[in-house]
Amino acid sequence: MAEKTKILYLDDEIDNLTGFKASFRLDYQVFTAVNVQGAIDFLTQHPDIKIVFCDQRMPEKTGVEFFEEIRTTFPAPIRILITAYTDIESVIGAINRGNIFRFIKKPWDQADIISAIEEASKFYHTNSVLTIKNEELRKAYAELDKFAYSVSHDIRGPLAGILGAINVAREIYDVNEMKDMLFLMEKSLKKLDTYILSMHDYYSLQRGELRIAEVDFNQMAQEFKDIYQMVAETNNIDFNVTVDQREPFRSDIVPLKLVLNNLLSNAFKYQSKANEDKKVELTLLVHRGTLHIEVKDTGIGILGNHINEIFNLFYRASSQESGSGFGLYNVKSALLKLNGHIEVNSALNKGTTFKVSIPTK
Amino acid sequence: MDLSFIVIDDTELDHFIAKKMITHADKRFDVKSFYEAKEALDYIKGKGPSLKSDAITLVLLDIYMPLMNGYQFLEAFETLDPALQAKYFMVALTSSHEPADTTRMSYFKSVKGLLSKPLLAEDLSGIIMQVITENGFELQ
Repeated sequence: MAEKTKILYLDDEIDNLTGFKASFRLDYQVFTAVNVQGAIDFLTQHPDIKIVFCDQRMPEKTGVEFFEEIRTTFPAPIRILITAYTDIESVIGAINRGNIFRFIKKPWDQADIISAIEEASKFYHTNSVLTIKNEELRKAYAELDKFAYSVSHDIRGPLAGILGAINVAREIYDVNEMKDMLFLMEKSLKKLDTYILSMHDYYSLQRGELRIAEVDFNQMAQEFKDIYQMVAETNNIDFNVTVDQREPFRSDIVPLKLVLNNLLSNAFKYQSKANEDKKVELTLLVHRGTLHIEVKDTGIGILGNHINEIFNLFYRASSQESGSGFGLYNVKSALLKLNGHIEVNSALNKGTTFKVSIPTK
Repeated sequence: MDLSFIVIDDTELDHFIAKKMITHADKRFDVKSFYEAKEALDYIKGKGPSLKSDAITLVLLDIYMPLMNGYQFLEAFETLDPALQAKYFMVALTSSHEPADTTRMSYFKSVKGLLSKPLLAEDLSGIIMQVITENGFELQ
């Protein structure tokens, strides 16, 4: 059964509180307070209180004044005033200023209160859904702004470079110099290509649905060995893969591969040229329904003050120009979809280790 | 020649182009390349007192870079000794046509020009002419 709706009732007359609680405690979780401080304590301790009833006539302050006060400090609960007809003028003012959702005349009857609670609950839920949607929208807009800025630099950057190179080419007569420039042009185009491919990953992670199937990590490890064999040999990097899977594991292979591919490509990319003993180690271990991934490199490492930002969109902790600022953000998005978790340990000029855990579906 | 160059950019191709353009304008120009703004800043700071009194360095600064970007570089640069700042002629380079960049750049008083990429020979020679007239240099 769903949790009972939490209701707070503030009244200076104990008899009213007792009567209220007796009538509604079976259907709702009722808190009662005899003074303003008591009510504020409850609101502080129970931020999920949905509805606050308050008597209008109290010695410290009126119900209208109390609601005016908590409107800014506790904006979420729906406020309902209980009052006799004689106070109607002040009540109308309060309702018009938006401080009160509705009022109930005194003496109340049970049906009035129940209908008020049901209406207020609906209103509360609509409001909270709206708040969540608004927050999501705000985030989406912020990301869109970042995106527009990045696109104009990250896409136009390489293109401007190529255009500039074509201009310069008119003045180059030396074949070797021309070849050097072609090599740099190719690098810029590859970077642009990576950016566009990652942007596609980004989009599919934000929109796509999961497709769950059994995953064979021995086979997957072999694929990654084949992919990275070449890079490992050309750059003299020792690539070690360990797989231990003795139980079935179910997940979506696309985001899973995306995580591994990004972590591995970083591990190979951010090696230090000066290091004699370059290593990348990949471990895939499935144990009690959880996949543990470890990607360990002997690379340049990440400075402590950048480590909290590396999962941010378009953040780059290195001036190495092949970074797009998408990779680890996409890793984070993929893990969010898979209910996974990631942690990173890094020592500057020693290397970085990423540890990921993902539960089976 | 009392005019030299510093290029700050994270892209190799853009360094290649800038260097080519500068030396094409006059092959005696000295060009220093920095891939990280922080390194350029340290270089400028370290160079301080040994600067020839009438030497000017034209700095081509990319705005969009990882780690320290062009704005952060300028913020740090503008805290340096004004006499040292006066030895550097800052020109910002951007690949975007973002109005936001133009506006933001206008707040930096050390920035004498904003050029869009790709760098064009006529833009560069225009800037060089400006430096030469402002400082009363003569091209030998």
